[in-house]
Amino acid sequence: MTRSLRQSMAWIHGWLGMLAGWILFAMFLTGTASYFRPEITRWMQPELPMHRTSGAQATQAAVAELARSNGGDQQWFIMLPDDRTAITRVFTIPQPDATAKPAPGKRRKRGGELELDPATGKPIHARETRGGEHFYRFHFQLQLPHPWGRWLAGVCGMFMLAAIVSGVVTHKRIFADFFTLRWNKGQRSWLDTHNVSAVLALPYHAVITYTGLMTLVLMYLPYPIAINYKQPLDFGREAYGLPVDAEASKRPAPLVPIAPLVRDAEARLKAPVSRVVVRHPGDAAATVAISAATVSALNARTGTAVYSGATGALLQSPSNSGAAVSTVGVMLGLHIAQYAAPGLRWVLFLLGLTGAAMVGTGLLLWTAARRRPGATPFFGLRLVERLNIATIAGLPIGMGAFLLANRLIPAAATGRADAEVATMFYAWGAAALLQLLRPARQAWAALFAIGALVYVAIPVANALTTSRGLLASWQAGDWPFVGFDLAMLVTAVLLGAAAWRAGRPQAVRATRRVKEMVHV
Amino acid sequence: MQRVEPSTPAHPARHLRRAAVAMAARCVTALLGGYALTAIVATLIARLLPISRVEATVWAMVPAFLFYAVVALWCFHEPRTGRVMAWVWGSAIVAGGAVWLLGVRP
Repeated sequence: MTRSLRQSMAWIHGWLGMLAGWILFAMFLTGTASYFRPEITRWMQPELPMHRTSGAQATQAAVAELARSNGGDQQWFIMLPDDRTAITRVFTIPQPDATAKPAPGKRRKRGGELELDPATGKPIHARETRGGEHFYRFHFQLQLPHPWGRWLAGVCGMFMLAAIVSGVVTHKRIFADFFTLRWNKGQRSWLDTHNVSAVLALPYHAVITYTGLMTLVLMYLPYPIAINYKQPLDFGREAYGLPVDAEASKRPAPLVPIAPLVRDAEARLKAPVSRVVVRHPGDAAATVAISAATVSALNARTGTAVYSGATGALLQSPSNSGAAVSTVGVMLGLHIAQYAAPGLRWVLFLLGLTGAAMVGTGLLLWTAARRRPGATPFFGLRLVERLNIATIAGLPIGMGAFLLANRLIPAAATGRADAEVATMFYAWGAAALLQLLRPARQAWAALFAIGALVYVAIPVANALTTSRGLLASWQAGDWPFVGFDLAMLVTAVLLGAAAWRAGRPQAVRATRRVKEMVHV
Repeated sequence: MQRVEPSTPAHPARHLRRAAVAMAARCVTALLGGYALTAIVATLIARLLPISRVEATVWAMVPAFLFYAVVALWCFHEPRTGRVMAWVWGSAIVAGGAVWLLGVRP
């Protein structure tokens, strides 16, 4: 029963794609949206104007505010704004022994997260939302408890990688079939689309899959660290220049002015600072770790300079990482694509969509290849078909509902960030269940049509509930907002076209058959 | 390679069950055995590469997922399930023994 490599690879390719396909489709779609993570967040907080603040000034403002409001904390993570972000984000870690005691009137989100105005350091007044962060997190955590979501995403990533390798091995056979086999026209058109989307963007798919796995390699494969280091933290220090976690001295000492440290670090790192971590603020043993941004550099892990918080002395200068660490840093950079200027970012966005198209058409191909004309579809085939509808046509509805909820839930409502996320999953779930009421073909058309309506509604709701509608943004030259609303309208048109096509497949199939007869 | 396909004529129940058990063993070997072998080989490479500690650690990780994918795919190409299990689990045990003997890098 030996079979050729190509035969076995074609067989496993189909099963890999089918088993992981639905999750991979969701990962591709939310990951593609995450190319515009800061822009989505900005659109979802329309109250916030965008203005540029230097890293040094934003850090100084944030630290002044934090010293006032969170002076007793163990650690402050300060994520500085850049060209695409409007706010300073802070994650605070309280002292382990101290009980949480948020100051009255202070805006505090779960996990000690603060959103500050970069210029003044004061907490911002904007609607509560996860913003683009939600799609980004879902992309690799799949809304599951830690660490299960990341493991599941890793398994699906491995399925994707194996599917790419087996797909490439298979491909010559597919290519031959493409010209010789004529037995199933409906399937052939999907095969065609699957090949085009997969082959044209193959380098992108291979790179994005491999680098995606590499982003979490330290979690998936920590064993090389364990065999080389008695203390795993030593690896972090050697590889990434993470500061040694010194204990607090319990002797109070005020923090030195932080802006000069940021400017010094920027000179040493030769890049704008993106993150400042203050450990034991107000203690004589305080440290300030300043890391450089990844803008315009392929390597996502650039260096960190560590200073004493009490004296301002440089404790640890940024280390030049070796070839391996740089390689992984570049892989990470290629995946998250912070380096990409707007034009390249849109190209990557479209390539990401070809990934979703490749997975989606692959899923359709699985059902098309197993459908026999005139025969009642077996249970597995119907199950896969319904899951295909729920995922391919249902997920866009859920994602659109998340964005729509941002405009429809009152801006001042409490718990609205969670409500937005819940809206996405309720809408998706409802779409997945309601489609069962209709025959498959009509269910496809119905869900695509609902999706089109949702995406038309988003710019409309934006124009009605904020002062930053499409026309106003256009007149103000507010291109991120214009781009967002236009992207929603284009999505609506595409979904509408999909609904129209799905609703009348007979006519389409007839013209295809005629075309193919011409070729025969 | 034993495999259940809807188009083949009905097998006797026993044959079908044996094929299902063989396929399950193959899947477990590909998924878990492949991961175990990848993890152990990466660990061994990290321990043995005669370069700096941090570089050896990271270089061992870089090709690991490709190795895993190829091992897992081979598990479904090789016709004999016994051979698949023997090679994957066997080499994992041998490499694991080497890692155990070498111990943490001094």
